[in-house]
Amino acid sequence: MTDTTTETMTETLARSVLPIAQDLFSAMIDGEPGLLQAGTGTADLAAGSVRARVDIVGPTSTRAEVVTTRPTADRIARALLQMADDEPLSGEDVEDALGEVANVVGGNLKGMLPEGSSLTLPVVELDEPASAPAADHDELLLWRGEPLVISLWTMNGEEL
Amino acid sequence: MKVLVADDSRVMRQIVIRTLRQAGFSAWEVVQAGDGAEGLDTTLREKPDLVLSDWNMPEMNGIDFLRGLRAAGSQVPFGFVTSEGSPQMRELAESEGALFLIAKPFDADTFEDALRPHFR
Repeated sequence: MTDTTTETMTETLARSVLPIAQDLFSAMIDGEPGLLQAGTGTADLAAGSVRARVDIVGPTSTRAEVVTTRPTADRIARALLQMADDEPLSGEDVEDALGEVANVVGGNLKGMLPEGSSLTLPVVELDEPASAPAADHDELLLWRGEPLVISLWTMNGEEL
Repeated sequence: MKVLVADDSRVMRQIVIRTLRQAGFSAWEVVQAGDGAEGLDTTLREKPDLVLSDWNMPEMNGIDFLRGLRAAGSQVPFGFVTSEGSPQMRELAESEGALFLIAKPFDADTFEDALRPHFR
């Protein structure tokens, strides 16, 4: 990242990740505020994680990826679907739920990017290790005490 | 009253339907569609009183779904429920004839504020 505009945009997007995620969780997952908080340090989510991403493609392209453990992803899916702990939950439901989390984060970030950008459909991978290069920004969050990371990659005029 | 909910996410369709109930529209019959193309076919066949549609969907997106309805002569009230709520998206939605655009995340109050002026 050598371009000043891109650096500024990345910082703007990075500052917005926490409030966007908190609005999402309080309105649609928890039904109350305060259960998603900023974390400190780093989280080791490399093994057995669920990764959901969307790309915002335009003059400045951005990838937003949500990563958490499978148990936490299952819990998010149950919360979104208001399912009891003993109800069967399919992998498809988990992919769908985490994809929507990424979609809402990406859609809200898109509103801050230049006009003419477009949002891709979510791509979700279950139990996949990380394969992308280091992100421009990693936001560590704790949902009900469990780690969830939202990462951003920003490219100016390059392929994601 | 009958409402069609179009979204490629089953999870999001369930949330929209649940939020409709929470907002006081619990008596409405609900039909569902998994993308804009299915939504267009289902709307023309089922003739709902309202369409609530995602914007970003495979096969046919929400704005083309709305344009398809109008091209087919349907004037069914149409609202977007989408993660993209920028002023440009709202302007485009309105110019194509949408009644409102509900941006995700939303809650029951958001739905009530958007729908109550049009449906009692």
